[in-house]
Amino acid sequence: MKKVLMTAILCMLCIAAVFAGGSKEKGSAAASTGFQVPENGYDGSPVTIRFYHTMGTNLSEVLSLYIEEFNKLYPNITVEATQVGSYDDVRDQISTEITVGGQPNIAYCYPDHVALYNLAGVVVPLDSLIESEVKVKRADGSEEILGLTPAQQADFIEGYYNEGRQFGDGLMYTLPWSKSTEVLYYNKTFFDKHGISVPTTWDEMEAVCARIKEIDPSSIPLGYDSEGNWFITMTEQLGSDYTSATEPHYLFDNETNRDFVKKFRSWYQKGYLTTQTLYGSYTSGLFVSENDVKSYMSIGSSAGATHQRPTALADGSYPFEVGIATIPQADKNNPKVISQGPSVCIFGKSDPQEVIASWLFVKFMTTCVDFQADFSMTSGYVPVLRSVGEHPVYKDFVAQADGGRYISALSAKVCLSQESAYYTSPAFNGSSTARSQVQTLFAKCLSAADGGNEDAMIRKAFKEAIDECEYQN
Amino acid sequence: MNENTIEKTRIRQRAVGALVQVLLYAFLLLMALIVLFPFYWMVISSLKTLDEYRMSVPTFFPRRVMLSNYADAFTTANLGRLFLNTMYVGIVSTLLSLVITILSAFAFARLEFKGKNALFGALLATMMIPGELFTITNYSTVTKLGWMNTYTVLIVPFLVSVFYIYLLRQNFMQIPDELYLAAKVDGTGDFKYLLKVMIPLSLPTLISITILKMMGAWNSYIWPRLVANDEKHRMITNGLRNAFTETTGDVNYPVQMAAVALVSLPLFLVFIFLRKYIMKGVSRSGIKG
Amino acid sequence: MQMVESEHKWKAWLYLSPAIVLLLVFTVWPIINTVRMAFLENYSGLKAVGGMTFSFGIGNFQKVVKYQKFLQCMKNTILLCILTVPISTILALLIAVCLNSIKFLQKPLQTIFFLPYVTNSIAIGMVFAAMFNIVGSFYGSENEIVVTAGIINNILEALGFHKVNWINSGSSYGANITVMTVYIVWNALPFKILVLLGGLQSIDKQYYDAARVDGTSRRRIFWKITVPLLSPMLAYVIITGFIGGFKEYTSIVGIFGEKMGPPDDALRLNTMVGFIYDALSTNNQGRASAAALILFGIILIVTLINLRVSKKRVHY
Repeated sequence: MKKVLMTAILCMLCIAAVFAGGSKEKGSAAASTGFQVPENGYDGSPVTIRFYHTMGTNLSEVLSLYIEEFNKLYPNITVEATQVGSYDDVRDQISTEITVGGQPNIAYCYPDHVALYNLAGVVVPLDSLIESEVKVKRADGSEEILGLTPAQQADFIEGYYNEGRQFGDGLMYTLPWSKSTEVLYYNKTFFDKHGISVPTTWDEMEAVCARIKEIDPSSIPLGYDSEGNWFITMTEQLGSDYTSATEPHYLFDNETNRDFVKKFRSWYQKGYLTTQTLYGSYTSGLFVSENDVKSYMSIGSSAGATHQRPTALADGSYPFEVGIATIPQADKNNPKVISQGPSVCIFGKSDPQEVIASWLFVKFMTTCVDFQADFSMTSGYVPVLRSVGEHPVYKDFVAQADGGRYISALSAKVCLSQESAYYTSPAFNGSSTARSQVQTLFAKCLSAADGGNEDAMIRKAFKEAIDECEYQN
Repeated sequence: MNENTIEKTRIRQRAVGALVQVLLYAFLLLMALIVLFPFYWMVISSLKTLDEYRMSVPTFFPRRVMLSNYADAFTTANLGRLFLNTMYVGIVSTLLSLVITILSAFAFARLEFKGKNALFGALLATMMIPGELFTITNYSTVTKLGWMNTYTVLIVPFLVSVFYIYLLRQNFMQIPDELYLAAKVDGTGDFKYLLKVMIPLSLPTLISITILKMMGAWNSYIWPRLVANDEKHRMITNGLRNAFTETTGDVNYPVQMAAVALVSLPLFLVFIFLRKYIMKGVSRSGIKG
Repeated sequence: MQMVESEHKWKAWLYLSPAIVLLLVFTVWPIINTVRMAFLENYSGLKAVGGMTFSFGIGNFQKVVKYQKFLQCMKNTILLCILTVPISTILALLIAVCLNSIKFLQKPLQTIFFLPYVTNSIAIGMVFAAMFNIVGSFYGSENEIVVTAGIINNILEALGFHKVNWINSGSSYGANITVMTVYIVWNALPFKILVLLGGLQSIDKQYYDAARVDGTSRRRIFWKITVPLLSPMLAYVIITGFIGGFKEYTSIVGIFGEKMGPPDDALRLNTMVGFIYDALSTNNQGRASAAALILFGIILIVTLINLRVSKKRVHY
């Protein structure tokens, strides 16, 4: 039986060899040369477009409400929105679908997803669409230009809008849909009681941690949810290298970065801070804890504000008030905070009308002030348009901000106030590997035993992370 | 040997027997506790609030019993439709799979043909390749066949399981040759012999296969998500995974656990029913093992 | 005679035809395609759609074997196999035999032992992680802060042992492997009990009655009757156990998450399949295929050894 098996396997190898030698991978025209806008724009023909997203039930309801609005203007465009799962699920599903040409028209995306899809050259650069001045007729008789008006472009928060252009080739591939960032949550009641002021720089943070440790030795003053975000944000704040969209991609092994890692390692050893993986649970759980061990500051997603609020007491009040502030900076005058949350991209199709229809839909949703306001209030994300801040309903929402019941509004308020600080990092095929590697590296350097030689351990960890990045891509 | 020693031996035997029984039960009950713990956890988690679920120090009994999680689970996930889809796919694919498995196992166990062992070995070898790699190729195959978003695509690609063929073949081979030869002499055809003798004798195994296959339908996730994720054909695990994502991308685990508990319940009942059936099948087989 | 022979052949292939057709389309063809991708240098499905062509060669295999952590992946995979297969088989056999020899509570206990089938693997992974997880910081140092040590450690301390850092930062490789072994064994038990109990219940009671009349001891009955008569089922659970063991991946994700190791040493517990997943997720199907073929080769060798051993020992 062994013999037969071996023969069978040998046969398989031979077949494969013939196959491999004889087949030429068929080339399809890469779409990255740009999209040719048809002369008459949208011709009004019936088109069905598919939209993959990750919205839960609440948000899907908001979405379908505005799809109806969109259909009042373009009744012939049918939008099939599907919730695929998590962001990773969307990515995996689409990259499989691309191999047989079955990708959707529009998808929720993170920058590294777009870089991945673009290995196949299937994401439509939006430049020609944004600039197009072709007139399009709407069902209510009015007309609009296909592209974005200068006013519409200017209304996008700059940091968010520029994210679409960070792919190293100067082309615009995505529009921001809805965003979140990291903010510093602090125990306002505790801070007020002890006369501690909220740290705005990392130096102040160190002093505050030391002070809290004096007051409550059994506490871990600061919890930081994501080591990955922290590392990348530090490189941005310090102006040191992280990655580049062009070769060589992986630049994070440098003196400045090793130094800040070493500094935070000493904080960790002193018991000043913890992170989600090191702590073994959500650091927000530590922040709202009612046990002896607790933290008084927590850095986490602005969209997760409700998790940073302690459980309400029987009378509806909260055990302590939560304050929210911008995260500490290296340079107070040049603040940097990460920009997260979904953008949308459009996929190339043989029928240009599908692309045009997809664009009209994306444009409608991302520039619709009502939608952005509704969506933000439901989700805890922040709108991508400046003018949403002036929207009456949204204004009321933000006005009621407090550190208890309306904590989401407070979080939104802080996010809106720091709009100039948003940065995005370069996206390329492999940027997600870099991210997960620095995350691992940071967690390791904070906590691992060093065998007496701290510098050597840190140096080795950085080198290994670079090797891993180079290998994976 | 006087009566006294016989009496002593008997007492000792009885004592040893009782001790063995006690140890047996102690062992079984301990293992049962270990096996049960995750279920207990699932149930109490399904009754917690999200905040309590996320607490650093896990609580062993919910502070506030949230029965509403179950109502939420039922309404947000459209469980009824998901359940029907899964039942349909599960039942049809189990029936078809049983037929194919029985036929193949019979051929391997009872019929002689050239290359039998080599073929069987090759089949076993296919089990050894990580299935994830098949997904990419199979996806393009079903697209070309035009099967996207149908029940067919959820059923057909996984009808053959080498596992089940192997399991049943082992069982068939335990049935003595004498029975087969006797049937031949009587002029009973192969097919009739299969139907009248082999299947009844292998009932426990067939029921095991049924359970496994139904569970497969219940737990399948990656493939259905890829090929049939529309409202009409969505399967239960996909529905469960997608429905409870909070706006922040976090999953509302307590409600998800409630949904998991809800969909486990029918299977659990089916299982209790089948357990009796297994007993029956076993007691009927008075043949050498 | 010739007639019967050829008629037999014809019949056998007829019986096998549905299985063979489906296997050709949905198993054999993907395997061939996998082999093809493995031998195309740096093959990537997305790049192929983008119009790139790939030359024929063995670069993918070289890249896999040269990878510094590949040996670690193999070591983990083999170690887990060697630990979990015997433990889970022996435990399942014990439970099945015990279940088969009691009357009171037999049915409820049976139900309990099969129960894990009707639950969802997502839930169980989370539960196990919570049982072993220490929430806190700086374990073992003078600054140690422990919020909760996990129920397993609570039990250990109640019994007078020291608590162990099982899976958190600073945990030892041995502790990690112990946790994985417990979890994998737990996971594998129901299936094995199901198969073995099914086998036990089809053993004729007359054998036992005869043995009892002869005054044979329990141990002798177990070794001379139960085990030999159960040997086909045992061979089955052992062989499939090994095959499953070599494909271990999701259970590790269940406990340690995508990091495949404690926070201070990610990928420490990565396995062969984990390696394949990593390659797939960066769209390196060529490398993933090459790794899959290497894994296939290893499993093949182990299975052949298994079959050879079982040929000598299994009584049909």
